[in-house]
Amino acid sequence: MPIPNLEKPIIKGLIEKEKVVVDGVEVDGTWNAFMIERTQTGYDPSVWDEIAGTLEGATISACWQCGTCTSGCTMREYDPKYSPRRFIDLARKGDKESLVELQNSIWRCVSCQKCTHRCPKGVLVEEVVHSIHNYLLKHGLVQSDPGTVFDELFLDVVMKNGGRISELTLGGASAKAGFVSLSLRDLISMSGALLKSGLIKDVMKPSRVKDWDKVKTVLEDAMKDEIKPEDLQANIRYQVVPQ
Amino acid sequence: MSSPYGKVAFYPGCSLDGLGKSYEESLKLVAKDLGLPLDKISDYNCCGALEVKNVNTMAGLLLPARNLSLAREMNADAVVSACPGCHYSLSRTQFFMTRYPKVAQKVNAYLEKMGNKPYDSKLLMVHAVEYIYNSVGAEGVKSRVKRPLNGLKVAPYYGCLYSRPKSYTLSGYMGLRDDPERPSFMDEILQALGAEVVPFEAKTMCCGGPHAYSDVDVALHLEARILKEAKRNGAELLITDCPLGHVAIETNMNKIAEKYGEDLRMPLVYFSQLVAFAFGHSPSETLLTANITDPLSVLKRFL
Ligand code: SF4
Ligand code: SF4
Repeated sequence: MPIPNLEKPIIKGLIEKEKVVVDGVEVDGTWNAFMIERTQTGYDPSVWDEIAGTLEGATISACWQCGTCTSGCTMREYDPKYSPRRFIDLARKGDKESLVELQNSIWRCVSCQKCTHRCPKGVLVEEVVHSIHNYLLKHGLVQSDPGTVFDELFLDVVMKNGGRISELTLGGASAKAGFVSLSLRDLISMSGALLKSGLIKDVMKPSRVKDWDKVKTVLEDAMKDEIKPEDLQANIRYQVVPQ
Repeated sequence: MSSPYGKVAFYPGCSLDGLGKSYEESLKLVAKDLGLPLDKISDYNCCGALEVKNVNTMAGLLLPARNLSLAREMNADAVVSACPGCHYSLSRTQFFMTRYPKVAQKVNAYLEKMGNKPYDSKLLMVHAVEYIYNSVGAEGVKSRVKRPLNGLKVAPYYGCLYSRPKSYTLSGYMGLRDDPERPSFMDEILQALGAEVVPFEAKTMCCGGPHAYSDVDVALHLEARILKEAKRNGAELLITDCPLGHVAIETNMNKIAEKYGEDLRMPLVYFSQLVAFAFGHSPSETLLTANITDPLSVLKRFL
């Protein structure tokens, strides 16, 4: 098979010779390049099953690899390795090794929902990408990443501050966690505006859910519970327009 | 004024109780002027936004579900959210509970333990822009204008989650929803105020939202793109309907200007602030004074 010049740099183990003679005929140009034969092993078919058995990943099987998701993806423009279509492909093949190689990309979804919105097959792509990422985290295949650290921090702040979040509580917690936060200049311009309008009182005022401790206890219980694959029997007409 | 939504419950969400206060206050003014009810779900909790769902599946369902249940206790038929992030989270839980009956049973069992009623998946989620547009229409807005904003050039920024994804919001599947790729409801509301809506292709582009803190360079660039597109088309103000995007762009304005050029600086205004201003309310009533950027530098010519 001739290998297009553009693709040569991305092929692992490419051999290009000065002079090649095949069956007495000298070949050159693109016909002159060969790939080292390699067999990839270690495909793990349980990856697909496990992801398809989660609430978020349940639609993974419907994907027909058209690439619509990747072509409009916000993150793709910033990271050429970021491709929801490919993540799905690798997860279904069970190619954990390649997914782990992509660990610095896969967490970067900004949840803009273009992929889910546009998928012609009804795959909830944004959810599936998170489910694949969660699989890697859960099995200890990848380190935690800034996105996940922030998500966990967010939940923690909600739980500890009466079921609500404010810029102050979240900002404080993220500054403590070492996220690049607002500069002094930003803070001055922010509090200036708030002071001027008398809004600062509202923003400072702690606001809580009335019976939060009770709600919190139940939530903590629920968080130990799981959605099981058998819970995912879909209504055939699953989305009804409310009357 | 008649609304196609039946009885409506208003979900403010955390951001409207914080830096988004100017959004809430001005929205209340607009609703009152238009005779639209806006009864708050008073004991609401955080909807989990785009973060909690990534950490824990059940928490991601239950936080929104509790709010939906509270809305049903108020006998509501629809929930109006001003924040597209909340609108999305509530719609997402409704989607999963409708699609998977066993998931709904599980969620409802926990709701009952919390002391809430099980949720029957009968609500319609509505964004504040849709609520105003579908209840009174551009004409209804126009008839209340006391301070026409003729000649004001604005770029309406709807954000990602105002009508995406269609599986959750049903945009494209039902009436009363805006066009998800090229929305126009806010455009028409702003035109009714007399303002000129400039061509603006960044209407539903992402601002980097959930990664505003954790993937800063990308977020800054995404935000700069939105401002650039608005500037290129001659907008004087960026009009928003999303407190997440609004706060992210406003608080990052200095960094954006430093990195991508001072000419990108532009004041931001919540759409409801501009509507209330055009209805004759003062800058302090509409909290135009509370924005981090300074919209009055542009709007003072209408005072
Ligand atoms: S758009 Fe849908 S079907 Fe196409 S590759 Fe992406 S997930 Fe698969
Ligand atoms: S939600 Fe994530 S994966 Fe989907 S288009 Fe946006 S950034 Fe890409």
